[in-house]
Amino acid sequence: MNLAWKEMKKNKVRFLILGSIIFLVSFLTFIISGLANGLSQDNAALIKDLPKGQFYMAEDADGTFNLSRIDSDLQQKVISKEKEAVAFSIQMGFLNDQDDKQQSVAFVTSTESTLFSNVHQDEVLLDSSLQDKGIQVGDILTNNQYSGKFIVKGFVEQKKYSHAPVAYISEEAYQEMYRVADKQLIFVPNSEPNDIKGLQAYSNKEFLNTIPSYNAEQLSLNMIIWFLVVISGMLFAIFFYMMNVQKIGLYGILKAIGLKTSKLFKMIWTQMAIITIFSLVVSVSLSQLFNIVAPKGMPFTLTIGTTTQLSVVFLLIGFIGATLSGMQIKKIEPLQAIQQGEA
Amino acid sequence: MTLFTIDEVRKTFKNGEVEEEILKGINLSLNEGEITALVGASGSGKSTLLTIAAGLQPATDGQVLFEEQNLTTMKTDQVRKLRASKFGFVFQFAHLVPFLTVEEQLLLMLDVAESPLKKNEQKYEVNRLLELVGMEHRKTAYPSSLSGGEKQRVAIARAIIHQPKVLFADEPTASLDSQRSKEIMLLLRTLTKTLNITTLLVTHDEEMLAYTDRIIKMSDGVVL
Repeated sequence: MNLAWKEMKKNKVRFLILGSIIFLVSFLTFIISGLANGLSQDNAALIKDLPKGQFYMAEDADGTFNLSRIDSDLQQKVISKEKEAVAFSIQMGFLNDQDDKQQSVAFVTSTESTLFSNVHQDEVLLDSSLQDKGIQVGDILTNNQYSGKFIVKGFVEQKKYSHAPVAYISEEAYQEMYRVADKQLIFVPNSEPNDIKGLQAYSNKEFLNTIPSYNAEQLSLNMIIWFLVVISGMLFAIFFYMMNVQKIGLYGILKAIGLKTSKLFKMIWTQMAIITIFSLVVSVSLSQLFNIVAPKGMPFTLTIGTTTQLSVVFLLIGFIGATLSGMQIKKIEPLQAIQQGEA
Repeated sequence: MTLFTIDEVRKTFKNGEVEEEILKGINLSLNEGEITALVGASGSGKSTLLTIAAGLQPATDGQVLFEEQNLTTMKTDQVRKLRASKFGFVFQFAHLVPFLTVEEQLLLMLDVAESPLKKNEQKYEVNRLLELVGMEHRKTAYPSSLSGGEKQRVAIARAIIHQPKVLFADEPTASLDSQRSKEIMLLLRTLTKTLNITTLLVTHDEEMLAYTDRIIKMSDGVVL
């Protein structure tokens, strides 16, 4: 007999209240997770979209790639040894559009590679977010430090760095603008860290953490997410604990007539699973809907992978919470319940 | 024929440093199909004896023998299985499951007892028994809408639906008025006699003794 479902059917309001709390907590978690992912993409999509590999920067830059200058000879040596390696530089700057309005961008230039877009001199390839600001293919853009002009060659999807759209420019243009021939970084895809004299290797994750603000931003958002997950687990534990306290007499009688303790645990787990799954279905649907209707300017990315991962965590935490509260069932003595009177 | 034997059963409770002997070597046998009443003043040990016999608490010393099995040496789960399949319980309060209908209370007991009956046979058996206790018209009702007497009728039906060998009844009429108490005792007697169920009953109501076959008086932990 499905005791769990029968109790839920009889006490709809009680379980609906718990369900709605779990829905609200999980919905909030999904939204914050979407924002965390969105901000992370906004901050470092350029780097995050690269395959797994090793980033190298000058040892004396001390983990700050803006200060890194890799000597051309050393760069040449690494690139000739590693066929897929690419040397690149990133600098924040401005582009003036046709209406003379300044647009903040992250200028990126690289040696020839499939991992970065390469353009000819006087050409620029922009992140598509600039399209929303009225820039079109064929527009002519300028930069105060560059003597030439940039013709917009096209747009790329979701290429951002430090919350600014990426602008791919040629090595020559970059050299003129920043008066530096050396690249800041070398990326070697699908490789293990190599000991190269004068260079320091970083994995993708390690390199992301060197980006100013990235780590702090992600750490605070992730802390909120995990805090909410723990709260939901505690909610389950407290809710079931309160319900179990009210039902000690009933459980005692059921144990007295011979019901297995495991059946009582099964009852709690089933109720927890039904409530969590129901709440998660609603919150996942609504958060996915929010993913679609979220304002364009809001950095919000919520993938099915992330929601599935968080949903599994919610189920696990709910299970732990319900089990902890259920531990008291094991201790209930039938005799105590009989002597207690009507529940 | 003897079905149940209580042999030199003792029960001692520790109250701080003081040890209090509640049962002082009880010997008792229950005959098949017989209704035995345990009577005595409050604190005489009658309820303690019933709960030890029913496997709800262990004895400090002595043996409780049922169908050649000694309950005092059995493992917890073995005693639970025995309670589920061979014993039935009626308490002072009905203790019905609040979220189950009358019909479901009985179906749950069949489930607990791991009844071999098929679903339709179980439903038939439930209806038959509800008819016997006069509750078939309330089979879809929840306990909250039943009167005290009705609840106790359902509790009796639940206690015997799985056809136990022994029924333990601890003050089953204590929470009912005189008229309802007589009705419940008559029902208990009729059903246990019809189904040949051995009954051990604890009561302090002397009027109820008229419905029993044998009366055992207890005082200060001994059978008089």
